[in-house]
Amino acid sequence: MSVDSPETIGITADILDHGLAADLSAASLALARRFHHGATMWCLAPQWEPHAHHMAVEFVHPVIVGKRALPAVALTAPDLLAQTRIAARSGDIVIAVAGAADIAVRDIMRRAPAWGALSVWIGSGARPEAGCADHVLWIDDDDPLAPATGRFVLMYHLLWELTHVCFEHPGLLGEPPGDCGQQVCVTCSDEGRLAEVLASPAGAFAQARVRTADGEESVDVTLVSPVAAGDLLLVHAGSAITRVGQ
Amino acid sequence: MAENTGFLYPFIDGDERDADTLLADLAASARDKARESSALQRSTLAGCAEQIADAAAQLAQRFDRGGRLYSFGNGGSATDAATLAALFARPAGGHRPLPAMNLAADQAVVTALGNDVGFDLVFSRQLIAHASGSDIAVAFSTSGNSADLMTALAEASKRGLLTIGLAGYNGGEMAGSGLLDFCFVVASQSVHRIQESQALVGYELWAATQRNLAETTRPTIGREVRM
Repeated sequence: MSVDSPETIGITADILDHGLAADLSAASLALARRFHHGATMWCLAPQWEPHAHHMAVEFVHPVIVGKRALPAVALTAPDLLAQTRIAARSGDIVIAVAGAADIAVRDIMRRAPAWGALSVWIGSGARPEAGCADHVLWIDDDDPLAPATGRFVLMYHLLWELTHVCFEHPGLLGEPPGDCGQQVCVTCSDEGRLAEVLASPAGAFAQARVRTADGEESVDVTLVSPVAAGDLLLVHAGSAITRVGQ
Repeated sequence: MAENTGFLYPFIDGDERDADTLLADLAASARDKARESSALQRSTLAGCAEQIADAAAQLAQRFDRGGRLYSFGNGGSATDAATLAALFARPAGGHRPLPAMNLAADQAVVTALGNDVGFDLVFSRQLIAHASGSDIAVAFSTSGNSADLMTALAEASKRGLLTIGLAGYNGGEMAGSGLLDFCFVVASQSVHRIQESQALVGYELWAATQRNLAETTRPTIGREVRM
């Protein structure tokens, strides 16, 4: 029940170490590239909704006059997965402020590559496992009240500031977004793409309709059947070759 | 206009291809800004410590009398006001929840008032509807000059609420109005750095209020529970 003093909530520490600074820089360049190619940024913060709204207004209505307005939207529906799935298009960005244990955010981050969305996860406390999002911006502080001390605000303020610096380097924005964590076929080392099943196949030998970063397509699911809507599969050369675990 | 000035702006032609230099510059810039942010947080808290303690004592008294807290602001400051209301009303970690609401939260109320009576009245009209003399008003602004906040603070002051303002720059109208019981000024010219310090001032206000309530609270049995 004790309430922490300023010393114990971390303001005397070096709050942005080299690792986090490097993570922020990489995330900012990735955001700038996506925005440059027309992305919308979907902002989530299920436990601390004001952070979702603050991120969105930061990018839509910059505090510095003359900086360009960028499309960013806070998502706050009770079923965040359903809302994000229908909102996000290939090339977009999904950014969340949430703890590592947040089930909805974990699920959304896991599915983002199938939607073609870049995923950015801001949080504090225990870290999520490596590879759970394209960019993980993490504060190693276990205090459950850290989200109310301004440290996440600093994080997305810096993300905004650095993203706009990247716009001054057009030569570095041209590369098409390809940083959405594609996996690889274990048998031939060829490309494997994450796919989310849209609907169960009509019959035992029918193909399943799936969504990938490239759009909708039908794939053979013989190797992994039965499949149901929402299942995640790895697709290679028109066939689902494995399921991607929970 | 065939003059070759490209050398003055090495990246203006979009020839830059190696991102490593930019990434290193961004990381250095992020660390500088973060250090600036925490230095400002430290100096702000040091300058406000006494005021925060006084304000928290009065907050605790008002909550004990059944008072509610109303927070409000515009844009990013509206979200920081919402974070403060959530911290008071739904604190993690077993702390005592206290009645607090964010006056920008209801889209129907905000748009109805904005459309029908004008945006400057979106918060003051809600205080007229909700507030009593034992309540608390907390306004978040970076400029300290927003007309809707000043109108609401005037209304709050008239009704006997405890009035608290968070401002930046030199405090603006908030600091000079005489309407506020407490005005916390974050002495910075950067909206971002101001908001980061204001968040911490809000957190400290909450933490000190919790400490006050913990000290004055009698054993749970027989304690009147006000929500």
